[in-house]
Amino acid sequence: MSSRAVFSGARTVAPLALGAMTAAIFLIDVSSNSNVTVSVLYVGVVLLSAGSAHPRTILLVSLGCAALTVVALLLSPPGESFRVGILNDSLSIAANAITTALVLRGRSANMQLRERAGLLELSHDAVFSRDMGDVITFWNPAAERLYGWTSEEAISKIPHDLLETIFPQPVDDIYAELRRTNRWEGELVHKRRDGTELIVASRWSLHRDRQGQPVAILETNNDITERTRAQEALLQAQSDLARYNRILLMGEMTTSISHEINQPISGAITNANAAFHWLAAEPPNLEQVRNSLDRIVRDGHRASEVIARVRALAKKTPPQMEPIDGNEAVSEALALTERELQRNSVKLSVQLLRDLPLVSADRIQIQQVILNLVVNAIDAMSGTPTDRRELVVSSGCDVTDVFVEVRDNGVGLEAADCDRLFQSFYTTKEGGMGMGLSLSRSIIEAHGGRLSVAPNEPHGAVFRFTLPTFDPSTSDQPA
Amino acid sequence: MSESKSSVVIIDDDESVRESLANLFNSVGLDVKLFSSGPEFLRSGFPDSPTCLVLDVRLPDGSGLDVQHELASANVRVPIIFITGHGDIHMSVQAMKGGAIEFLTKPYREQELLDAVQLGLDRDRANRDDEQHLASLKERFASLTPREREVMQHVAQGRLNKQIAFDMSISEVTVKIHRGQVMRKMNAKSLPELARMADKIANPTAGFKPSK
Repeated sequence: MSSRAVFSGARTVAPLALGAMTAAIFLIDVSSNSNVTVSVLYVGVVLLSAGSAHPRTILLVSLGCAALTVVALLLSPPGESFRVGILNDSLSIAANAITTALVLRGRSANMQLRERAGLLELSHDAVFSRDMGDVITFWNPAAERLYGWTSEEAISKIPHDLLETIFPQPVDDIYAELRRTNRWEGELVHKRRDGTELIVASRWSLHRDRQGQPVAILETNNDITERTRAQEALLQAQSDLARYNRILLMGEMTTSISHEINQPISGAITNANAAFHWLAAEPPNLEQVRNSLDRIVRDGHRASEVIARVRALAKKTPPQMEPIDGNEAVSEALALTERELQRNSVKLSVQLLRDLPLVSADRIQIQQVILNLVVNAIDAMSGTPTDRRELVVSSGCDVTDVFVEVRDNGVGLEAADCDRLFQSFYTTKEGGMGMGLSLSRSIIEAHGGRLSVAPNEPHGAVFRFTLPTFDPSTSDQPA
Repeated sequence: MSESKSSVVIIDDDESVRESLANLFNSVGLDVKLFSSGPEFLRSGFPDSPTCLVLDVRLPDGSGLDVQHELASANVRVPIIFITGHGDIHMSVQAMKGGAIEFLTKPYREQELLDAVQLGLDRDRANRDDEQHLASLKERFASLTPREREVMQHVAQGRLNKQIAFDMSISEVTVKIHRGQVMRKMNAKSLPELARMADKIANPTAGFKPSK
């Protein structure tokens, strides 16, 4: 039972009842034989007074009882029984004194608990305690405000039922950790009395008695619903922005993309027409018909691969980290820009390091970064004579990182630009949003890598990003 | 005249497009020659049999229009059919001005392409026959003596023997003899035919212009 329950029980013993009891003991003591130690019953009076009274009052009650014992002794007839009475009363006064001492000590411990509980009452965090059977024994006003359940309603309920708690991990694991370390911290989802959900940062601590047996759990909950929602909204906004950027990128590459899709489709149609002619021949040339059908199938696959790639870029998907081959990601992204490069008379040279280590990354986002860099490079070279426009995309690695470089020989960068280049809404392009590079940098940094820029010799710029190599031993799920 | 087999030259950087076109032309009994770029085709030398070019407007290493210019400046007149993935009005105007037979936008109907190629091949065959004809005409003309050429010009202009005799200060009989020689050497069966031959020699490209 909690300290609070003890206090409220003791408070109900009225001073009047104590007085009556004292008087009864005194009368019996006076009238009885000295051989019977009635005065030892004063211990009961002291004990009962312990619940409510101030320490000084308890002391006074105790002294009063001792005095009454002496008075009763003095009133008794002298003689042999008087000597026995002295001995008996000394014993009862001693018992009384010991009891008083014990009560006062327990009393101060109780006071401390009460004070602590008082502090918990004042806390802005919702605090409640529960016994080892998960029954609520204490519920502070902040908890009343947060959850809408009053202390009376909450006490003796099971918190997980009352609040319909959703745990971030199996409950058994939480209790195991609590028993092991006496603490647990995590985020819980609770339901208020009115049915609304809230997210709390929850801290649990386990209290043990002197023997080390767990006796109670104190749970402190801090409402972080707003904060969590704001963070979620921020993440959502970032992901929407990234998607918007990808769609813009694809807008810039529509010519490339539609060409990439049109080519195989037109190939398939032409092959199908050829097949009709082969069939119509006398005799039908089935070998060539089969040949044509093979090509139609191949072309169909090619078109659907392009569409899948574009769709993946345009789709609204949460980032998905998996071990990927950086070279493959580069080649796929470049396939989408091929026409764009041709259209702008940019000569592309690709220098990929063979056997590049895998990186743990979201393929779409990395391709988005590559596309941003390539589209920027093409723009940067719009003033370069057409026969000198060259784009070099290369990959490589060192001990810990894989890197990809996009090198152009365009206008290059002013030193002042380098600083502001990665800021949002900074753009050197007419009609540019100024989002591409800042987004690219946050994408790369979210992957634990770096995106940097340096001048290219003699003209242009080199953008380089790194990604940590994939280490299977540190990964939980090697997809 | 030329009985050598006609062929379609396909220039496209995309292998599956190139091969599908080859497949289509093969299926209607046409031979094909495949190239992945304009320069590759230009380096290969020009075919001496009736040919029609089918090429993508956008090609790596220079556009399809560049190929057209190169051919024109080398005085090679090969019918060209352009194919484009995207209707580009400016480009199609350029191409047609440069003498392209057809400018097809994907997705085109197969029959359109086959018809255009057939037209191209017919035209190239006609051009080649015409050139052949002109060459033999020039050869025959070259076999005439200076006097005979002079007489031929007068005859072609419709002048009478005595007018010619007067102009050239020779006898009418001599004019008749020269005239007979001209008709024989030029292999002309009538006066109007001789007149046409004279026109052709004076203005060789007249008959080549597209009839439209």
